[in-house]
Amino acid sequence: MLEFRTQGFNGYSIKYSPFFDSRIAVASSANFGLVGNGRLYILGLTANGIVTEKWFDTQDSLFDTAWSESHENQILTASGDGSIKLFDISLDQFPIQSWSEHGREVFSVHWNLVGKDTFLSSSWDGTVRIWNPTRQQSLTTLPTHSCTYSAQFSPHSASLVSAVSSDSYLRLFDLRTPASASNHLVLAIPIHSPPRASPGVPPAAGVPPSEALTHDWNKYRDSVVACAGVDRVIRTFDIRRGASGGPVAVLPGHDYAVRRLTWSPHLSDVLLSASYDMTCRVWTDGSAIGVGNKLPDPLAFGGGRELGRMGVHTEFATGVDWCLFGAEGWCASCGWDERVLIWDVRAVMAS
Amino acid sequence: MSSAQSRLNQLSSHVAGKAALTAKHPDDIVVTCALRTAITKGGKGGFKDTPAQDLLLGAFKALIERSGIDPGLVEDIAVGTVLAPGAGATEFRAAALAAGFPADVGVKGLNRQCSSGLQAVVDIANAIRGGMIEVGVGAGVESMSQGYGPGAVSELSDLVKAHKEAANCRVPMGVLSEKMAEDRNVSRPAQDAFAAKSYQKAVKAQAAGLFDQEIVPLTVKWTDPKTEEEKTITVSRDDGVRDGVTAESLSKLRPAFAKDGSIHGGNASQVSDGAAAVLLMKRSTAERLGQPIMGKYVAASIVGVPPLLMGIGPWKAIPVALGKAGIGKDDVDIYEINEAFASQCVWCINELGLDESKINPKGGAIAFGHPLGCTGARQISTLLYELKRTGGKVGVTSMCVGTGMGMAAVWVAE
Repeated sequence: MLEFRTQGFNGYSIKYSPFFDSRIAVASSANFGLVGNGRLYILGLTANGIVTEKWFDTQDSLFDTAWSESHENQILTASGDGSIKLFDISLDQFPIQSWSEHGREVFSVHWNLVGKDTFLSSSWDGTVRIWNPTRQQSLTTLPTHSCTYSAQFSPHSASLVSAVSSDSYLRLFDLRTPASASNHLVLAIPIHSPPRASPGVPPAAGVPPSEALTHDWNKYRDSVVACAGVDRVIRTFDIRRGASGGPVAVLPGHDYAVRRLTWSPHLSDVLLSASYDMTCRVWTDGSAIGVGNKLPDPLAFGGGRELGRMGVHTEFATGVDWCLFGAEGWCASCGWDERVLIWDVRAVMAS
Repeated sequence: MSSAQSRLNQLSSHVAGKAALTAKHPDDIVVTCALRTAITKGGKGGFKDTPAQDLLLGAFKALIERSGIDPGLVEDIAVGTVLAPGAGATEFRAAALAAGFPADVGVKGLNRQCSSGLQAVVDIANAIRGGMIEVGVGAGVESMSQGYGPGAVSELSDLVKAHKEAANCRVPMGVLSEKMAEDRNVSRPAQDAFAAKSYQKAVKAQAAGLFDQEIVPLTVKWTDPKTEEEKTITVSRDDGVRDGVTAESLSKLRPAFAKDGSIHGGNASQVSDGAAAVLLMKRSTAERLGQPIMGKYVAASIVGVPPLLMGIGPWKAIPVALGKAGIGKDDVDIYEINEAFASQCVWCINELGLDESKINPKGGAIAFGHPLGCTGARQISTLLYELKRTGGKVGVTSMCVGTGMGMAAVWVAE
């Protein structure tokens, strides 16, 4: 396990570069992101451990970051003052572009993985905005009317946008639909809906709605999305089931809210989570053949289970990301303990 | 609010449950009307000649009138009761029809001893949450004047009796509570002080008119025991509430269950008659129908304890319900814990470390009575009106259950 200290700054998000296996970006904030500056770290993995290649200081806290998919040196940040900034890491100090349309904290940014010419942002102001890096104004505003913690483009379609928000809904927007009063909204799935009853399986009890903090699209199955949040439970949904289909898998286990979820880029059933309970956990959703036949928790559903956990963080674990390159299993996590950890999930998996 | 403060509130809502708990969502199960009849002394009070079904009929009629709901929109009614034969299934269906609910509306009676009223309300909330119905009524009723007697507890077979713990299910409440008070060191002065406070709080609340909103006056026939003359009276007050009760005055009463015991008529719940009803639906339905929202149902728990330690039920059930709601004991503004006996209530409060000023602020069953099946539904109206009046948010209702169980539920007033 490799370690790096983001002295004086509490980590909020960590992302591997999609271009280099040795480069990692960390969005962090002073004073736990409540008040004060933010700092974007560009870290290099070298034979001598983790070194700082560069950092950028910002006026307000940074809550998320996303690498450009089209330019290896460009990277976005999501800021507490409602701004989104684009930095070029070959330059010093200042961003090359800044956009300020959001009325409140921007909590996520994500680059379009298919189109590569657009990116999006989501904010506590209850909107998701779509941007083109060469334009001054946003291209589209997608209202969610609820504090939106996380939004993404589908990794399989350039025009499919998903968002989860504090009203406990997973929303899907299809930008190909004509402009109308629905603002491209095509589906709103209640995340707290109980799993669908099936023969031999008793219907599950409903749970009250709670804030959804994170979600991620499966990299192999183009209709599967995992969501999690304040109710501590990870759920996966198949968007083909529609709004009332209920979750496909329910994975209870975290002791506090789940802050970040990310599907493996290598295995279709494996996902990684980071939580306020200070652990990062690796899960299977039960979709792979031969995995999981026991249901230890009455809340669990779908045959998924926890495969292992990493409990080295000593404060809230807020960010986690898989390395796209090399042996499948390397990942990086950050947390409020001012630490970045690079580790191999295979080392924490129970045999 | 500064931006740092609002950011802190937002982030802390991720870990602390209370902010998330009070958030409003379209599929919350909400209470749009909660009311009760007065609670009157068994065998002597205003309802002594009124059958349980008439009490229920009165509560139902008032519920329809007060809420303004189209009775045809109600899909199911659950009524908790303890003493009615067959859980009152026949008489309650009849009472619902007489009250103006059309024949399309389902009715069931159920019995989970002293928590029957709460169980009925929770059953309806779960049926709404599960999608079985959209609008429902949970209720509770008891006429202890007419139903209380040796038949209330069934005989046990030889086979069942041979099991020691099973045989304990028939030990009378007073006897086992006496034993528990002794074993768990709840002294008589502590019980008397708690009981006297219940009376004093109830007297004060009654004088201030704090029960007026929840009580619906009922006009009933009543036979004067002295003259044998039948009169028509309107009952709108809890007649068990007695003024001038102090720990001093209670200390003079003779123990009821053991010569050297500590439990007596003044520090145990009264034998009473009464009914209560609660109208529930989803928030989205309430908004569509224009129903005013009093509060929402969050979570409930049911736990078992040894039959002889029946009284510790709330101690075990409350933390489970709080856990389900994701909050701590200090997040709760008011606890309505049924005062079956001062001994068990005092023990539970002390053991849980609850703030005594949050417990039963308008008095409890010691002061105005415990009509068995009604109590669980009665606590909800008492709680929600008091939370609203005091500006509180989160409330818990709980009670111990005969044969050794505890039940608790978490509510949020709006």
